[in-house]
Amino acid sequence: MSFEPLRSRAEVIKLARLLRREPGQLSYLERLPAEDVRALREQVTDLLFEAHDGTLQRLATSSRLLPVGVNAMISQHAFGPMLSARISGLLGPDRAVEIAAKLPSEFLADIAVELDPRRASDVIARMPAERVAEVTRELNRRDEYVTMGRFVGHLSGEALRASVAATDDAMLLRTAFVLEERERLDDLAELVGEDRIVGLAKVAEREQLWPEALDLLMSLDRDRVAEGLARMDSEQRELVERRAREQGVELPTVASEGAA
Amino acid sequence: MSREEALRELGKQLHATPPAGLSDLSDDELDDLVEAVTDARHQQAAELHAAGEKAFAHIPRLLRGPIRKVMGA
Repeated sequence: MSFEPLRSRAEVIKLARLLRREPGQLSYLERLPAEDVRALREQVTDLLFEAHDGTLQRLATSSRLLPVGVNAMISQHAFGPMLSARISGLLGPDRAVEIAAKLPSEFLADIAVELDPRRASDVIARMPAERVAEVTRELNRRDEYVTMGRFVGHLSGEALRASVAATDDAMLLRTAFVLEERERLDDLAELVGEDRIVGLAKVAEREQLWPEALDLLMSLDRDRVAEGLARMDSEQRELVERRAREQGVELPTVASEGAA
Repeated sequence: MSREEALRELGKQLHATPPAGLSDLSDDELDDLVEAVTDARHQQAAELHAAGEKAFAHIPRLLRGPIRKVMGA
């Protein structure tokens, strides 16, 4: 089983957002390897974020002359999410976090959708965990797993924990699948307890998310997967094993009670 | 635009060599992609200009002079 088409689709969704198009308008890019679509997206991101660098830098500089509350008002009522996202990485992390504290979570979620996390990594890392959880809940409500997948790699450990706790099982599977910093998958997996593995399997069956679920399971420690499988009743476990075989994925063997 | 022209134009806009896989796209698809990138740049420039004007309405009068100075407006 290749997860490549699903990954390419996720990349096309991200690129479409950047280009202000519907993903369907760029569906022809889904034929390309996900790595190529990602490379193109990063080139377009650099182009758009650097296109008006001088003006954006002057806006950021002038914002230092204004009280935090006025900056928040300008961000929400004049700049809107796209420009606020472009400027946020230029403000200085402490200042940006102070301004963010005055903005509603819904608007922060709007900004998150437009933000290039690589350029605002210090800001994201300093966001208080409870605020991150609020924004996560809003992104969750909007089904914005693509945005969440871009952010996970930049969250502090505490914020990641709060974010995972605020994410429902289906969203967690989708987010993990499109995670940009795959090396952070270990940290994410660490937060997925054995009990939650049972829930993830249920939601995978209900919402047809087996590629996403198996991709995550394969990233978890095999002993932990075996432990999660052992906690399932035999019917559930057989279902997971059958779906894994269908997708060409080999799961750890479980020595269950009563097994032959 | 031919495929080669479209790829060249895209590279010019991006200031980078487009990923190799793009050469598998048809002429029409590449044209569409070039147009999408061009539109996004223009739209961002227009939004930036409009937002700058709108922002002044929220700035206390006393601070408008210094801000205009920083902005070079």
